[in-house]
Amino acid sequence: MGKIRRIVLDVLKPHDPTIIEVSAQLSDLAGVEAVNISIYEIDLRVENAKITLEGSDLDYDDVERVIGDNGGTVHSIDEVVAGRSIIDDAATLQDPQG
Amino acid sequence: MGPFQRELQRLKEYDEVADIGEIARRYFAMNSFDGILTIVGVLAGNYLAGVRTPSVVITTGMATSVSMAVSGLWGAYLTESAERQRSLDELENHTLTDLSQTRIGRASRAAVFVVSAVDGLAPLLASFLVLTPFFVSHLLGGILYSYYASLVVAMLALFGMGAFLGRISKQNVFVAGLKMVVAGVMALLLSYLIEHTVGISETGG
Repeated sequence: MGKIRRIVLDVLKPHDPTIIEVSAQLSDLAGVEAVNISIYEIDLRVENAKITLEGSDLDYDDVERVIGDNGGTVHSIDEVVAGRSIIDDAATLQDPQG
Repeated sequence: MGPFQRELQRLKEYDEVADIGEIARRYFAMNSFDGILTIVGVLAGNYLAGVRTPSVVITTGMATSVSMAVSGLWGAYLTESAERQRSLDELENHTLTDLSQTRIGRASRAAVFVVSAVDGLAPLLASFLVLTPFFVSHLLGGILYSYYASLVVAMLALFGMGAFLGRISKQNVFVAGLKMVVAGVMALLLSYLIEHTVGISETGG
């Protein structure tokens, strides 16, 4: 079976534990090479984070477990890349013109 | 990493989530202060009532300390667990998930445990420290010296406590220590006044 190389998630999480702790825990998982977490919305007690993970062989269940253990919920899986290399989505005529 | 270090590491992680250290420190200072002042009151009462048997002072002092410990433990457990539960419930309303089995839930339970233990042990240890001279009154050459030594220990402990708080708040350590000692002296003066009033009313009656 093909290996998952990149996952982009939309996550709702409490302010504590901070994204510093969460990113450190995610980067400790087997098969993870890089983690990026950016906050795009802040509420009184919670915040919305975009979590990007890249690696040689990502295990989604492990990722979800770490996020859940830190009080977060995955709202949506926004992008997944699998296979021998990482590709970005191809440009089409339907894409908004910059 | 040994099991003890692992537990310490876990406690450190929980501290980051649940701010255990700050609350425990507050409870520690508040209840040690309570413990010392209560025992100063007990000792002043014993001294003014003419108690000259170390075992009586130790028994009354220890009974008071143990009561304070139980009260601290129980009170802190009930209030802290209620507050923590409320805070977790509020957070759950925002995340719309059950957080009890997450790191936040575990940190919250650990906080209740640590804070209750600190709240119970602080007055117990502080008052035992002040009572120490009565355990060795035969070495000090009489119970009167135990009373004086206890007073010195109590004032030093109060000063130490004040200095500790002064260091946390980055104030003058000496002034902060003295403020605590003033409270101790006040407790003694009030005990003396009560004894004096009771003494007059007994003579009058």
